Order: sequence, then C-alpha cells, then structure tokens
Amino acid sequence: MSLATKMNRPLPFTPLPGLVFRLRLKDLCWLLSFIAIVLVLFLWSASSGSYHLSMAQVWQVLLAPDAQPDRLVRVVWEFRLPRILAAMLCGAALAIAGVMLQSITRNALASPGLIGVEAGASVTLLFCVILMPGLVPIFWLPVSAMLGGFLVAGLIYLLSSARGYSPVRLILVGVGITSMLSALSEMLITYGDIDLVESALMWLGGSLHQVSWGQVEVMAWWLLLAGVPALLSFRQLNLLRLGDKVALSRGVDNRKVIPLLLLISVALTASAVATAGTLTFVGLMAPHMARRFCGDRHGVLIPLAGLLGALLVLLGDTLGRTLLAPLQLPAGLVIVLVGAPWFIVLMHRSRHGGAN
Amino acid sequence: MAERVLSAPAEAGAALWPRRLLGLALLLLLLALMAGLHLSLGASSLEAGSLWQALVDYNPQDAGQNIIREIRQPRLVVALVVGAALAVAGVLMQAVSNNPLADPGLLGINSGAAFFVVGGLLMLPGSQHGWLPLYAFAGAAFAALLVLLLSGRQQSPERLVLAGVAVTALFAAMTAILLIVDQQGLDKLRHWLTGAIGASDLKKLAWVWPWLLAGLVLTALLARSLNAHHLGDRAAASLGVNVGLLKLASLALVIVLSGSVVAVAGPIGFVGLVVPHMARLLVRSDYRWLLPYALVLGAVLLVSADLAARIVVRPYEINTGIITALVGAPVFIALVIGRMR
Repeated sequence: MSLATKMNRPLPFTPLPGLVFRLRLKDLCWLLSFIAIVLVLFLWSASSGSYHLSMAQVWQVLLAPDAQPDRLVRVVWEFRLPRILAAMLCGAALAIAGVMLQSITRNALASPGLIGVEAGASVTLLFCVILMPGLVPIFWLPVSAMLGGFLVAGLIYLLSSARGYSPVRLILVGVGITSMLSALSEMLITYGDIDLVESALMWLGGSLHQVSWGQVEVMAWWLLLAGVPALLSFRQLNLLRLGDKVALSRGVDNRKVIPLLLLISVALTASAVATAGTLTFVGLMAPHMARRFCGDRHGVLIPLAGLLGALLVLLGDTLGRTLLAPLQLPAGLVIVLVGAPWFIVLMHRSRHGGAN
Repeated sequence: MAERVLSAPAEAGAALWPRRLLGLALLLLLLALMAGLHLSLGASSLEAGSLWQALVDYNPQDAGQNIIREIRQPRLVVALVVGAALAVAGVLMQAVSNNPLADPGLLGINSGAAFFVVGGLLMLPGSQHGWLPLYAFAGAAFAALLVLLLSGRQQSPERLVLAGVAVTALFAAMTAILLIVDQQGLDKLRHWLTGAIGASDLKKLAWVWPWLLAGLVLTALLARSLNAHHLGDRAAASLGVNVGLLKLASLALVIVLSGSVVAVAGPIGFVGLVVPHMARLLVRSDYRWLLPYALVLGAVLLVSADLAARIVVRPYEINTGIITALVGAPVFIALVIGRMR
C-alpha cells in the first residue's frame, strides 16, 4: 500500500465505548503542524514589541515566572499575553462561525459579517460611546454590543423567513440590513465629537489593545460553550452542504437544525465582535484556507479553520502593532490588506467555489 | 389585455407615445416642484415671492435672495446632476448584468473610486484638481475588475452582490488605514466619505461635466442595443448587436458616470438600485423610454433626499448619502423578499 492511500484511509478511533470517530492520518498531520505553527507565532508575537525580548526569554518567563525579573514578567503576563490570547480566541470563533455559515447557506462568499451581528454590535457600541458617553460603564460595553448583535441577527432571520426561509434570502437581507445600519453608524461617526469618534473607529477597525484578562476568560468560555456544539454538529453540516433534500433523506431536518446552527454561529461572532471589534475578513477567508487542506469534511474542517483563524488574527495584530510602531494599525485592517488580494485570486481560480 | 396583444407592435408603440410623453412631462413638473421646495426650504425658510425674485430679478443685497443664489442653487444643480448620473449608471448595470440587484454602491465601484480619490489627495497633495475624476475612474475600474474576478463565470445575483460586499470591505479598510495614518485627513474628509452634497461642489462639477455629458449621450445611443440585449444574448446577436462590445461599453460608461459622481459628491449608494425599478414600474423595459424616465426620476429622488437631509434635523444637516442608504436599503430588502426564490 502506498503512503498516500495510507494517509487518506480513515482510521476508527473510539474515545468512549459506543462513540466512534474516524480520523485520517493526513488530517492529523495537518492539525498537528498548524498547532506547531500557531505556537511558534505565539512565541514570536510575545517577544516582539517596543520592549524587545528573545524567544528563549519569553519561553522561560512563561514556564517559570518566579525565577525571572519582575519587569519581564509584567511585560509578558500583563501586557502581551491577554492580547495574544484574545486575538487567537476571536480568530478561532470567527473562523468557526464562517465555516458554519458557508455550509448552511451553501455559498462560498457568506461570512459572519453578513448576518448582521457585526453591524448590530457596532451601531450599539457607537450609540453608547458617542451619544451617551458614560451611560454604560466600559466593562459592560461588550455586553451591550453583543445584545445589539443578537437583536439584529434575529431581525434578519425573521425577515428572511417571512415568506419561507431560503439561504439566498438570508444572505441578501443580511446585506441590506448591514448597509442600512452602516449608514446609521456613519451618521454617528460624521456628527460625533472627533475624539470619541477616533476611539470608536479604532474599535470598529478590529483592535485588541485594551484587552484584559477578564475579557479573555469570558471569550474562552464562549468559545467553549458554542464551539463544542459546533464541532459536534459536523455530521449535520456535512449533510446540509449536499443540499436540504439529501440532508432530509439522512434524517437531518433543515428547518429544525438550521436555526440552532445559526444561533451557535451568531453567539460565536457576537462574542468575538464584543471582544475585538469587527474583523470582517477572517470569517470569510479562514474557512477557504482550511478547505484547501481537508476538503469539506467538517469534523476536521472546523478545528483546522479555528486554528487558521487564530493564526490570521494573531499575525494581523502582531504586524499591526510592530510594522508602523509606535502607530498601531487595527488587526482587522491589516488582515483585509494582506488577505483580500490573495483571497480574490483564490476565488477566481477555484472551480468548486460557486453557489449552487 | 387581449386588444393590446392582438394589435401590431408598431401600432402599440405609436399609441403609447402620447402617454409616455405625458408621463415624462408630469415627472418634469414634479422635479420642478421639488427643486422649488429645495430652494425655498432649509435652515431658514424663504417665501415663494423672494424665491421668484431671486431667480428672475436677482438683488445681491437681499440676504434671503443671496442664500438662494449663492448656497442653494449650486447645491440644487449638483444634486440634479448627481442623481441623474447615478440613476443612468444603475439602469446600465442592471441591464447588462441581468441582475435586478446591481448598483454602483452595492457592487463596490463607488468605494473603489472613493479610495483612489482619498489616496490621491493624501499621497499627492500638489496634484491638480482636474486629476480627481481620473483617480476616481481608475478606482472604479479597478473595483469593477475585482468584482468580476470574484464573482466568476456564473452570474448569479447573490454571488455578484457578495463579491461587491467583499470588495467594498476591502476598499473601506484601505481608506480607513489611510485616514488612521493621517489624522488631519480624517477630519477633512469624513463628510465627503459618506456622500455629501455641498455648495462648494459646483466647482468640482466644472471638472467632471464634460465626462458626464459624454457618458449620458453615449448611453442614449446604446438604448436600441439594450432593448435587443433584453431579449437575451443570442437574440441580440441575431439582431446584429455585438454583445461583447455592448457589455464593455456599458461597463466603461458605468465607470465614467459613477466615478464622476464620486469625485463630486463622494460615494452615494442605492440611487442606482432604486430608480431603475421605479422607472420600470412606469414604463416596463423599453430602454428608449426607461433611460429618460430614470434620468428624471434619479434627479427627483436625489433632490428630495438632499431636501430631507437639510430639513429633518434643522438647523443641522445629515449627509445625503446616509439618507439615500436609509431609504434605499429597505427597498433592497423588499426586492429580495418579493423577487428572489
């Protein structure tokens, strides 16, 4: 048997009696190598910045903080780690939400930004920051943004299923509502006090410079609460990808499953937006990058896309704070700038990228 | 219904002439009415008498007449031209792409032009203002190319719209980076970036009017070919229309029309989406009538939007582009819910 077929053969894997996963060696290799890449990037990101450290120093500070000078420990643990972790968690959440949305709508260009969560969250936040500064304490701002995101996503789902749900309608109603809300937020940006607007714009561009350990903790819980169900629904996603009828014939009722899956992806997106602002392109690009390695098998696609999303946001954030230092570019903008041209070429080339 | 089907097409066309002309005249009357309101209402409202005097027998000493001639009249002219150009661009796009959801704003062409204009202004501060339309054309062409690349060969409406959204996000992000790097630029440009019409824009109109005029005239020449194209690519080819050339020419015209508009007033969305549908309700899809109807309706819509922008939160102003988005997006959603499967 050649190596290639051996790598592609599904191997049964039984973590608990009665629960069988089939894993391919190839997928395992890709997962492990991306974990390694993320770890290296993590060390590099923690070592670079205005106070430069070597990667070995960072490693020692992380493993044994007590033996190192106080100053180093503070730089790494207080300033850099929360930011890095938040970037990775948000990226993973957005990428997983993107995978789910693209499979539900069977459209290669669907992304979490289109279901209105980002627009709803940004408008809510702008209202709180510009019109009523001080009304909502800073700690609660992400929560209010998340509420706004959920509200708008619910509205879009109701509107698009008013005359029977269809994926095309969901996407296009999302585009309409998003552009209406962005007109509202532009109004706030244009007429607000310029200082408040500047800080709001930084947040809207997707920036992570004010992340605290508390936010990281909250984000981790959300990723766990919504990400695990997402991973467990890989079979349903595999079937939905093939069409509603095929899914129904294999016992997956799209009318019952899709609202649940949408809720999961909205929760993932809303938590990420509340932590890091709008990172529009991550949810669009990471799933496509992951698909090049493992195709449409969602059991592997979801964790792999999560890793790639973490990688993208971490890279974007680190480049954003080091390239033009002391000026900080928001991570979301860097990602768009680096990723979009590549994405356009990719979409042009791909044969199976079309909507069916 | 039966009579209309039985009568010969030429006869039906002849019978429609007076009705179509009457409709156009009524629309022009509506436009005149809106223009009058536009001139007289605002932060300080003026009476019809002083409006008439300002137009016929202008007295520069009178403050009210001065406002009309110096501030509101230039703004009215800009709104008229911008609305008409955007509406015609929308008709062209929807006709050629066979897509009821096409619009220069939604498909990213406006934001591409806006990015190039901002980049040109910030990077090459000494450049001549006459170059601005050329920056805008380059940006619009670049954005159109990207959207075509992204949407691929299957021209399904949702894929085209999503490609437009992605391209818009790309250019918006690049504009945002430019403005973060140059903070003073942000303060200067943030009004223009949401689509604003102001009195000073008459000067900018002077740079683009030859382009706009040429674009509109050439579009009028395309009306017959567009009618043939409406029957389908093959039917058009059999009627002697070079379909590839028609598509290319329409794309170039859309780029020139919407690029000029962006250079004058910033990215104003949704006019190109809404107006063709309104016009089609009135005259079905005979492009010889659709184009003039859309031209006038576009002007009416933008003048009314500009009027609303000035009087909703008197004495402050909202940007016109924001009003058109707030009005146009619900129309878009209604189209999606009503028309799509």
